[in-house]
Amino acid sequence: MTPDQHTPFLDDIPAYALGALDAEESAALEAHLATCASCRTELAEYRSLSESLLTAVPPKNPPAALRRRLQNRLPGAQKPVRPRWNWSFANMAMGTALALLLAMNVYSIVQVRSLQAVQTQLSRQYRTGQTILSMLSYPATQRLAINADKVVGSLLLDRDRNIVALIVWNMPQLQEDKTYQVWLVDPGGDRVSAGIFRPEGDQPYTTQIFWPQQSISNFVGIGVTVEPAGGSKQPTGARVFKVDF
Amino acid sequence: MTGIDEGQLISKIAQGDEQAFLTIYDRYAGRVHGLTLHMLGDSMLAEEATQDTFFKLWSRARDYLAERGPFLPWLLTIARRVALDRLRLEARRPVLSDSNDPETVWQTIPDHATVTEESRWRSLYFAVRALHPDQRKVIELAYYQGLSQSEIAEVLGWPLGTVKTRLRAGMEKLRGTWKEI
Repeated sequence: MTPDQHTPFLDDIPAYALGALDAEESAALEAHLATCASCRTELAEYRSLSESLLTAVPPKNPPAALRRRLQNRLPGAQKPVRPRWNWSFANMAMGTALALLLAMNVYSIVQVRSLQAVQTQLSRQYRTGQTILSMLSYPATQRLAINADKVVGSLLLDRDRNIVALIVWNMPQLQEDKTYQVWLVDPGGDRVSAGIFRPEGDQPYTTQIFWPQQSISNFVGIGVTVEPAGGSKQPTGARVFKVDF
Repeated sequence: MTGIDEGQLISKIAQGDEQAFLTIYDRYAGRVHGLTLHMLGDSMLAEEATQDTFFKLWSRARDYLAERGPFLPWLLTIARRVALDRLRLEARRPVLSDSNDPETVWQTIPDHATVTEESRWRSLYFAVRALHPDQRKVIELAYYQGLSQSEIAEVLGWPLGTVKTRLRAGMEKLRGTWKEI
């Protein structure tokens, strides 16, 4: 290759070493370098120079804070972080909605259970009323008066179906730990429990139905006493009224 | 750890030794930051570029091969690429001024390189400053701002041939000085 052929490439080598050639010029020079050892030597010298230009810039210390920032981002400075709640507006809104939904569910369950209790009570009262009506209309039903001071009412005895019904007015209010207990009295004077009850609702009367396990024909009377909640094996409390059959 | 050989420090960094990394930082942060500030002309951008450069060192220390050359030029080559990327990202206008006072800066910042190397770099710096201003300007724009000769011609409003001539002449002078020092 003649010196004239080298010249354009030699002229480009300093700019190439600085990275200042355009793409086309770079491609042409690189093609030439592949075949020209003297140009490669020339380029090596200029590259050494350009590399040294990096070190020929005056040093300047960065602020101390930069070292701390760098150090804090190294793996050793990365402490495990416990997950924290991010109380963004969306999260708070979601949390509030969930809490509201939960409260509504609890309220609904309480309401349903309350309605079920009322329904059970009404159903029982309805059946009791129906039973008493049927007893009153039954020819063999024996009706006896209850009259003990303020407590008045009727006792219905259906000996055929072995049913006892009480319709009583003005039963005294009971404490929470007390209950009324019904006793059947046999000819020997012994008492057999027929059941317990508490007046329901705010009506001045109460109606109760009992189905004694033994035939009511075996008994000569009925009495009601105040007993501890849950009832007693034998009468222990004050007698409210007594009716002889 | 200051007495440990530089090659050993780089190997330790490659193995995740943070103390070795900080030792290298303390040794060369001034050089990296000096270069990025010279190229970017903005202290905040220069700090970010310096930080990025050392993060690249942290993650690429294993790429350094001592047999291919000294460590500092390798590190500064990374710093130059980081700064050039930042220049392109910011689409910043070329920085043409040099506000650093070489006399004070060179004397106040200790350099851990050998006396011979440091004196050569310092001599080269003064050789650059001794160039004709037009020659120095095209070399600065090409190397520290990443502009091609065509772009330099456009920025300075000079004919492309003039840019090429001044760049070549300046580089030839520097090469002559570089061989002598």
